[in-house]
Amino acid sequence: MYTAYPVVAQQENDLGTEAQRAEGKEVYDIKCAHCHGYEGDASAVATPYLRPTPRDFTSGNYKFRSTASGELPTTEDIKRSIRLGMPYTSMPAWEGILSETEITNLAYYLKTFESAFDGPYGNPTVVEIPRAPAYSADPDHLARGREVFEANQCADCHGENGRGNGESAPELVDDWGYPIRAADMTKRWTFRASATREDVYRTFMTGLNGTPMPSYEQTIDEEDRWALVDYVWSLSRDTPDYGTTVIVQGQPSELVLGESLFEGVPETYFPIVGQVIEPGRAFYPGVNGISVRAVYNDSEIAIQLRWHDMTAETEGMNNPGIEVPMFDPAQPDTTMDGWSDAVAALLPSRTPEGLERPYFMFGDSRFPMSIWYTDLATDSAAVLTGQGAGRIADNGIALERSASYEDGVWTVQFKGPRNQGGLTMPEATFVPISFTVWDGFSGERGNKRGLSAWYHLYLEPMEAQSAVLPMAKWFLIVLGAELLIVALVNLRARRRKTA
Amino acid sequence: MNLFVFLAIAAAMVLIQFVVTRWVKLNRLAWMGIWWVALWAAFSYGINPPLPNSIILLFMAIITIALVAYLSADNEELKQAQDSIVRFMVARQYRVALLIVLFAIPAAVAAWTYVSMNEAPQPPSSGRTIHPPPPSSITFEGTAIDLTTANNPIRELQHTDEAAFAEHVANGRRIYFENCFYCHGDNMQGAGMFAHGYDPLPANFNDATTIAMLQESYLFWRIAKGAPGLPSESTPWSSAMPAWEDFLTQEEIWDVIIFLYEFTGFEPRAQGMPH
Ligand code: HEC
Ligand code: HEC
Ligand code: HEC
Repeated sequence: MYTAYPVVAQQENDLGTEAQRAEGKEVYDIKCAHCHGYEGDASAVATPYLRPTPRDFTSGNYKFRSTASGELPTTEDIKRSIRLGMPYTSMPAWEGILSETEITNLAYYLKTFESAFDGPYGNPTVVEIPRAPAYSADPDHLARGREVFEANQCADCHGENGRGNGESAPELVDDWGYPIRAADMTKRWTFRASATREDVYRTFMTGLNGTPMPSYEQTIDEEDRWALVDYVWSLSRDTPDYGTTVIVQGQPSELVLGESLFEGVPETYFPIVGQVIEPGRAFYPGVNGISVRAVYNDSEIAIQLRWHDMTAETEGMNNPGIEVPMFDPAQPDTTMDGWSDAVAALLPSRTPEGLERPYFMFGDSRFPMSIWYTDLATDSAAVLTGQGAGRIADNGIALERSASYEDGVWTVQFKGPRNQGGLTMPEATFVPISFTVWDGFSGERGNKRGLSAWYHLYLEPMEAQSAVLPMAKWFLIVLGAELLIVALVNLRARRRKTA
Repeated sequence: MNLFVFLAIAAAMVLIQFVVTRWVKLNRLAWMGIWWVALWAAFSYGINPPLPNSIILLFMAIITIALVAYLSADNEELKQAQDSIVRFMVARQYRVALLIVLFAIPAAVAAWTYVSMNEAPQPPSSGRTIHPPPPSSITFEGTAIDLTTANNPIRELQHTDEAAFAEHVANGRRIYFENCFYCHGDNMQGAGMFAHGYDPLPANFNDATTIAMLQESYLFWRIAKGAPGLPSESTPWSSAMPAWEDFLTQEEIWDVIIFLYEFTGFEPRAQGMPH
């Protein structure tokens, strides 16, 4: 339902009625206070565990606004944020959970936390967003968008190719002093408030208050704006397309690690989420997805892992066994120096029977894990055996490894035996696999890490079985049976006639 | 259930019954074929979430047997059906049609062979029992707890000491937002910020088939022992539900259980009733 602003009350601030605010407070205290605080100041039971931190409503700084940079949001803006939430943060979408009336009441209640809503700036002007023309992938149009992107130094923060790895990205903090990441434009689904092209347009027109993301209303000409939107839009696919199985292709020859080994091999993308169970809880893992490819030959398997990382930490050290506190304070990453980036592919230590798996947290003594691990400050890789956090040992099998970091992307390749210890990987079978990434910049080490659930490798048979023979076989069998029946029936009918 | 599909199938049947039969006389055999196809369509497309193919195959086998039995129960009808088949195979005027049918059936079988050989391979899927029977007792930090008789000790306060009860609810809320909401979500819908990383998905406590139909002692077991404590037929290790006995005390677990019910507005199933 859409509530239009009363035209006559245009000059008055839209603050709702006493009753609306009171009802808003009732819902707020039950549904919102544990994150945003009873006083709206983001000091609450859950805030130490949240990054980004819940909005402090007493500041009047709202990221999502249809109003000019630095201004307050409209009631409708606040309602939209409540309705849609902020993807990939803890701020949930309340649409369908709270009624439209409740959401309206909440918006009025939130306004009471900041007195400016009741003052002369309480009725901000809306920046007009024109209707988006159809998306155009015309090379000239996108090239123009790229020029605007470069001319306005979007790359300083967002990176040369929009991967969130700009030069100043590691130093960015929000108005409350918390570290903040420039959006990765190749993962549009993680945008806080940019689900559509109009939203991207609005984001750089109005800026995001309270964050370093500026407004470009004054600097980008009207005719260039949609070119920039479409350029940003062209950097990402629509949805994450999370997969569940890596198709491992067979190769008759030796597996030589390098770029060409995985050419044309299908890539599968998996979500990475924070470890939030055991000590070392990671509430905002530096990495939120990993792309995987794999190939095999008669004795070996090679796995390529690719992920976006704002910076490459190749100094310091890391290890899955490092002891970590329950959680690090949600405060700046800069206190986290000394940890390098690292990555692991985790496999069961023996061929599982049926659906049995090691516990996904590093295994346990009943069913250990084989951890293909590399610390990116070194140039070696090894197989470790995990029986749970803190019970991880090197089992002496060395792996071949190559690693490179370029423009915000880590590429790591492992090569190891197809059969090792109790684990075999025959053709045409599914082998459980999971992944872990440590972002040294965010102080991820030991059990503080980004991890995935169990997925599968599937070793595609090297010689695909041709369907021709089985097809011919079944065709002939069925046809033969039919002819036999028809012949018998005809024979009998003829006999009966002659009889 | 997909009402739309059911209505479409019913409409098609009515159409055949009252309109098509004006021009074509349908004998018993044809009617059986039509019923067979209609039921197959209803099972395959009319039910949400879709039934597994193996179940549909089973249903159709039963229906085929039932239809054949129905036909053969009446000698007259069986003969009528038989005659029409025999006529089709013998009579000259059906020669072309017979040839087409003779080739169409094996061609369909061959096509099916091709399709099934080129299907993407399916990873082993878990035949998960959602609420497996709990053990009769568990040990928690060395003490045995009898799950068949255990009651939530906090529950009593609900009627005797409201202020103390409210404190336990508040404590449960704190525990929930320290430990659980990343997966089970702010609104307990199983859609926390990290839920997309897990399969099976974290339980949705707003759903009438989770905590609303469980006893508090059952929840105690699930929370204390998590996925690692599930019986082996429930594929314990593929679920991400942690075992909280290492991190929470007994009382904290009872508190968070109270909070789950307070927040969703459900009542636990009374002790002593079967699961
Ligand atoms: C689990 C914690 C959590 C809960 C519960 C929660 N929020 Fe939030 N909320 C957040 C976080 C975190 C952010 C900041 C996201 C960001 O900065 O990207 C936020 C941001 C917001 C914003 C600001 C949007 C902007 O443009 O800056 C509004 C408005 C908001 N929340 C309203 C609500 C309301 C109303 C409720 C209750 C119905 C609620 N939130 C419940 C965590 C929460
Ligand atoms: C000073 C650094 C900086 C510059 C320069 C900058 N941005 Fe941003 N941008 C950010 C930050 C930080 C965020 C993430 C804010 C957040 O997490 O809420 C962001 C977020 C975004 C988003 C995602 C908004 C959302 O809904 O989550 C878009 C789109 C975007 N920027 C576009 C641009 C474009 C286009 C330019 C150049 C015209 C640009 N930015 C220049 C820092 C910058
Ligand atoms: C890492 C994610 C994760 C966290 C954190 C988590 N859970 Fe779960 N939980 C799950 C998953 C996944 C399931 C569903 C699969 C299963 O039943 O094991 C589940 C199932 C449950 C069930 C069983 C519901 C039923 O219908 O049988 C209960 C009860 C439960 N969780 C309570 C909690 C409580 C209380 C906490 C916090 C102390 C918590 N969970 C924290 C992932 C999580």
